[in-house]
Amino acid sequence: MNTEPSRLSYLTNGILRENPTLILMIGLCPTLATTMSARDALGMAAAASFVLICSNVVVSTVRRLVPDSVRIPIFIIIISTFVTIVDYVMKAYQPALYRVLGVFVPLIVVNCIILGRAEAFAYRHGVFDSLLDGLGKAIGFGLVLFLMGSIRELVGAGKFFGTRIMPAAYASSPVQFMVSAPGAFFLIGVLKGLVNKLQSKNR
Amino acid sequence: MTNSRIWTVLSLFVTCLLSAFALSVVYSQTRQRIYQLSIAGIRAAFAEVMPTADSFAVLTPDSSVWAAFEGGRRCGTIVRAAERGYGGPVPVTAGVDTTGTITGIRIAGPVEGLKETQGLGTKVLEPEWRAQFVGKSPAEILLDRDGGTISAVTGATISSRAVANGLRDALERYASLLRP
Repeated sequence: MNTEPSRLSYLTNGILRENPTLILMIGLCPTLATTMSARDALGMAAAASFVLICSNVVVSTVRRLVPDSVRIPIFIIIISTFVTIVDYVMKAYQPALYRVLGVFVPLIVVNCIILGRAEAFAYRHGVFDSLLDGLGKAIGFGLVLFLMGSIRELVGAGKFFGTRIMPAAYASSPVQFMVSAPGAFFLIGVLKGLVNKLQSKNR
Repeated sequence: MTNSRIWTVLSLFVTCLLSAFALSVVYSQTRQRIYQLSIAGIRAAFAEVMPTADSFAVLTPDSSVWAAFEGGRRCGTIVRAAERGYGGPVPVTAGVDTTGTITGIRIAGPVEGLKETQGLGTKVLEPEWRAQFVGKSPAEILLDRDGGTISAVTGATISSRAVANGLRDALERYASLLRP
């Protein structure tokens, strides 16, 4: 049997076909709450990706030792350990970013993407495959976050990574709706609509 | 073997043990830096509201009042307040010199937890608005429409009032601590 294409698909599935946020519609809370700007979105994506990839690797490494009945508590302990590591390290080395992301760093623990991948993939697959799967889902999640953060910052503040891009006349009175909470709901709705439109065309 | 009763208990125990060990390593490596950063943040805020002071000592157990010293001599007091505004508490830090006059005020921004409406309530952060507090006595710290001398930000009366009233209340509450 030819196994190479399927291995690569573990990686690529997460980016488009099984994109966690826009197709599977999980992990929406951080997607909505931490995408006020491109930089915040990337910070959240990096933190969640680290946890996702590490937990996938560790869960798949120990999967044969984990009793079925207590696998969920064990996954949660593994995930929350990595989340707490991110929490400490970000607090110590990226304090400005930590203040923006605030409670959403500890809340990575309950990100459905991470527990979902541990249960649905890493628990049943090898270490390397789980690494690829984690990487793919992390890229998919990160891309959507980055897209949301960039659009919201550009439209809502006229900036990109904190530098003014739009003409001064626009940046002085931008559509501030986009950087507030309703803007996030609006944008995810528009993006999901676009994805549905593309999917129905391909069918 | 993996489904035996003893291993069910033991596996959770081992997981917790390894997790605790990993976290204690990371914690001991980052603790010092996190502490220093929080001290540096407090010092920077204090220096902004009272540039002449060079050292500070806490006066109340909840660390809302600090004595400020310049070359070892008491030169004033730092008072912190957080009155409820429109979206949540509005954290204000103010410097008061020994005559009871405000030397400067600082309001924590959105990244430090300010929940006021973007573009309206957050205008209380602007230096021009905060400047009107400088040189005032506690009795004057009240919105002009409430009988004081502070003009509110247009469209953000509640946020402005939270700053003024919170500060005035704190200054009155700790009046006995303000004079050395």
